[in-house]
Amino acid sequence: MTVIQERQVVSRRRWGDGLRRALRGEGAYLAMLLPLLLFVAAIAIYPLLFSFRISLFKYRLTDPNQLQTFVGLDNYLRAFQDPIVLTSLRVTLIYVAGTVLLEMVLGLALALLLASEGRMIRGTRALLLLPMALPPLVVGLVWKSLYNADFGVIPYYLKALGVDVGRGPLAELGWAMPAVILIDVWQWTPLLMIIFLAGLKSLPVEPYEAAFADGATRWQRFIHITLPLLKPTLLVALLLRTMQSFKVFDVIYATTGGGPGSATTVLNFHIYTVGMTFFDMGYAAALANVLLVIIAILSVLYIMILERQQL
Amino acid sequence: MMQKRSKFEQFLLTVITILVVLFFMLPVFWLVTTSFKFGREAFAIPPKWLLFEFTWRNYTEVLATTKIGLYLTNSLIISAGATILSLVLGVPAGYAIARSGSRLLNMSAYFFLLLLMVPPVAMLIPFYLIMRDLHLLGSYASLIILDTVFDAAFVVWMMRSYFADVPKEIEEAALVDGASRFAAFWRVALPLSIPGVVAAALYVIIFSWNDFLFALMLTSPATKTIPLGILASFSAVEISWGRMAVMCLFAIVPALVISLFLNRYFIQGVTMGATKG
Repeated sequence: MTVIQERQVVSRRRWGDGLRRALRGEGAYLAMLLPLLLFVAAIAIYPLLFSFRISLFKYRLTDPNQLQTFVGLDNYLRAFQDPIVLTSLRVTLIYVAGTVLLEMVLGLALALLLASEGRMIRGTRALLLLPMALPPLVVGLVWKSLYNADFGVIPYYLKALGVDVGRGPLAELGWAMPAVILIDVWQWTPLLMIIFLAGLKSLPVEPYEAAFADGATRWQRFIHITLPLLKPTLLVALLLRTMQSFKVFDVIYATTGGGPGSATTVLNFHIYTVGMTFFDMGYAAALANVLLVIIAILSVLYIMILERQQL
Repeated sequence: MMQKRSKFEQFLLTVITILVVLFFMLPVFWLVTTSFKFGREAFAIPPKWLLFEFTWRNYTEVLATTKIGLYLTNSLIISAGATILSLVLGVPAGYAIARSGSRLLNMSAYFFLLLLMVPPVAMLIPFYLIMRDLHLLGSYASLIILDTVFDAAFVVWMMRSYFADVPKEIEEAALVDGASRFAAFWRVALPLSIPGVVAAALYVIIFSWNDFLFALMLTSPATKTIPLGILASFSAVEISWGRMAVMCLFAIVPALVISLFLNRYFIQGVTMGATKG
């Protein structure tokens, strides 16, 4: 064998060793992560960039020539002057604040109510899991029939209590928003209950023993021990549900369709209407990006809190 | 340690618990009973909760007049595809993030969390246009791919915290014996983490089965999933609530099975996916 050949063999072996060593170390982890990263880059990152590009154009699918005219930031400027957008932002805030606050309070109450470990209690907790596993569309349809003005159960009992809801809760201006909020509360309160139960279970017992020795009442223990200790869990749950609440679509689609008027037109639903009913793609993409920025800010907050909790 | 509750308090708490269960169960109970009612009884005022004329007619009619079989098959294909794909891509990725010493790799977990928070509506326009340009509108593939993006992000996020709780020592012993990192994952860590994988899988099945928005945008009449099928089977004018209830019941079978029989895994999925940093 010539020297050169020998060197080639050695270098090839070295290269093979290097690869093997890399796969033994951090390289192996990178290799396990890479397929997913590439997949996500192709399916999610590219569309996001695409969405940003489209938002700078006037592009209507209904246009026979499929013209895409560059309009710069016009779509964004238009968004902040569009009264429907401003209304839908307000509607979204009411919906998110209403659902999240109610669910936080009720979820905590449920967690405290069902914290003990009996067989009955455990069975009850399991039953309460059902709503959040249901398809939101089906939930919407079921509640729509419960709310129906002519034969719905809820208007019937309300009437028996002396409350007349006219054309039904979903069709009356003042009732529609509380009605859809109640659906969300029904479906998602158990999620918070579970998160809070896990939080309660991880609390230390010592402060309670000390408080008990000092003769603190149950209410005092709740206010001065449970709530402060549970604060990290409460924060995480609050942000998580807030972001989820922004996603609402199916239930609105199935029940009110955004109405009556625009009483339940959350931003999400408005974006859908602009994009998939009016086919005004550029404008819809711009609105979607506004929504994304709101969610991104909330997500970063959420991540910062999770990070701090780890320390 | 707890003060003993008085008899009255105990009674009050029991009453409240019963009311809570009623509130959360009555809509489902209503759905089930409506599916066994004749039309006029479903509309009866005052409502008939328990005493009504029992019939299977809604079921036979749904089977005879709607394409429920097609819708269920489509839902099954899409959920199964998205679940398998997201586990194959997500479980090793979650493991890599949990075990890697590189800060960059560790931090990439947050990238998947961010993805998880993206409202699907925000991606509607680009997804629709891209799928149209790829001529994938109305295909199973388009829905499986989109569901997988969000499903896999959840799997990574959840499996990462699950693997972090699995002790490293056994894997390290295997590595010392000359096993590769892949072998340590495949032969040691993964078998120890099957409950976590099951929890993640159940969650992902529910996600994809329940998806409505992507299906609304991307399915054709031949690939409609069950939520779309329900809407397609009834016109706005003439709705038979009995038959609709039957279709809704078919749509909630996975939810029923998982929450009633696999709830331990489900709870794990919820808490790990949501709150573990």
